[in-house]
Amino acid sequence: MNIKEYIESGILEAYVLGALTEGERAAVEADMVMYPELAKEIAAIEAAMQSFAEANAEEPPAHMQQQIWNAIQQQSAPQEVPEPQPAQEAKPQPKVVEFAPPAATARPSWQRAAVWAAVGVSVLTNFMLLSQRNKTKEEIAQMTSQMDSLKVSQQQVLAEYKKGRDMLVDTSMKTVVMRSMQPGKEMTGMMFWSKVTGESYLTIHAMPMPEKGKQYQLWVIQDGKPVSMGVIDNNLVANAGMMYKIPMQVKGGQAFAISLEKEGGNPTPTEVMAVGAI
Amino acid sequence: MAPALTYSEEELVVLLKQQSQDAFNYLYKNYAGVLYGVIRKVVTDEQTAQDVLQDVFVKVWNNIGQYSTEKGRIYTWMINIARNAAIDKLRSKGEIMKSKIQTGEDAVYNVQKGMKTEQATDTIGLKEAVAALKPEHQTIVSLAYFKGFTMDEIARTLEIPLGTVKTRMRAAMQSLREYYNSN
Repeated sequence: MNIKEYIESGILEAYVLGALTEGERAAVEADMVMYPELAKEIAAIEAAMQSFAEANAEEPPAHMQQQIWNAIQQQSAPQEVPEPQPAQEAKPQPKVVEFAPPAATARPSWQRAAVWAAVGVSVLTNFMLLSQRNKTKEEIAQMTSQMDSLKVSQQQVLAEYKKGRDMLVDTSMKTVVMRSMQPGKEMTGMMFWSKVTGESYLTIHAMPMPEKGKQYQLWVIQDGKPVSMGVIDNNLVANAGMMYKIPMQVKGGQAFAISLEKEGGNPTPTEVMAVGAI
Repeated sequence: MAPALTYSEEELVVLLKQQSQDAFNYLYKNYAGVLYGVIRKVVTDEQTAQDVLQDVFVKVWNNIGQYSTEKGRIYTWMINIARNAAIDKLRSKGEIMKSKIQTGEDAVYNVQKGMKTEQATDTIGLKEAVAALKPEHQTIVSLAYFKGFTMDEIARTLEIPLGTVKTRMRAAMQSLREYYNSN
């Protein structure tokens, strides 16, 4: 097979764009396994579509996050009644105003002109009122959506606050202080970790802001091997003392560590900055 | 608050397999916007798009066990789930035929107008990459990616040979790649 011709035919683009039939798609997938060049080309096309998707991102309404999580929770529960569909909005019936048959007698022309002028003014006014109403509607919708996100973020803050309190009284919670491994540099971070639930929280106490193109990465050392817990946003470094819940659960380990890595992190730590034994 | 920790693709898979609410929140914060954007390009109705978004998250959540890195990037995997779910919805609602006819007409109109970039931008909703794509390329990308047309259907709708559809797809994606690589 001529790979170059294959690539230039456009079939790989059609594959990524989802424009192939079942059979054609299966054929491309089989070829992909045989020829790594094809897989590489497909990956490059997919990357472009990803950038495209990112450029067109649109935030869903704030309440969706909780709603979807509830849906995920509910599916494990016994058969739920299907969600009621929002009632179809009744379409407003157009108002029909019947015109009276024109009077038989001809009206003077000034009268006709006056009527037309009045009609014109009325149409204009209606149009202006309508557009004003639409604007108001838009403003209301905007404010409702702002309220919506405010409410959600307030709920989140409250939930986090409650979690923080629960954590402080949780006796299974361990506090691990990570101290500087770089002589002469003052660096401290703290981990709060519950072995029971696997939950953990990170607080940066004093760490210098990483230079451009670098980021801190958090690790847990499990049986001598560092396992990444994620790359730390510089936001957290700037806001020393802010407690952040780690999304990743940790079931065990001997130490927590923070290292300095290139932006986006590395699979293994390069320059260890602070370590704290559990 | 912006996410304070970020994960690589491999880490994200590990995180999702833990099935915790924190994992969900991370997933949602980082990907809901992109997925919703894709869905909205397919089904314009907001309520329907929100229903689809929910289905997509549930699907990603339930199927993460079957996902393996051999199947390609998890990002692509999720975007494809969103796109397919949205197109399925479009079809199930019986809107696809209507949409096909409409988009077909729009598309032809755009091709004929050729230079009328504004109109073409509307079909695809592509604001910034407009410089990268010629109108006839936008039409083809839009029909395939957002309306679920096969090459054959595109050829028939636009009344152009199948070979031209392929060539244009290739050219369109080449320009998109160039555009995003240089930005």
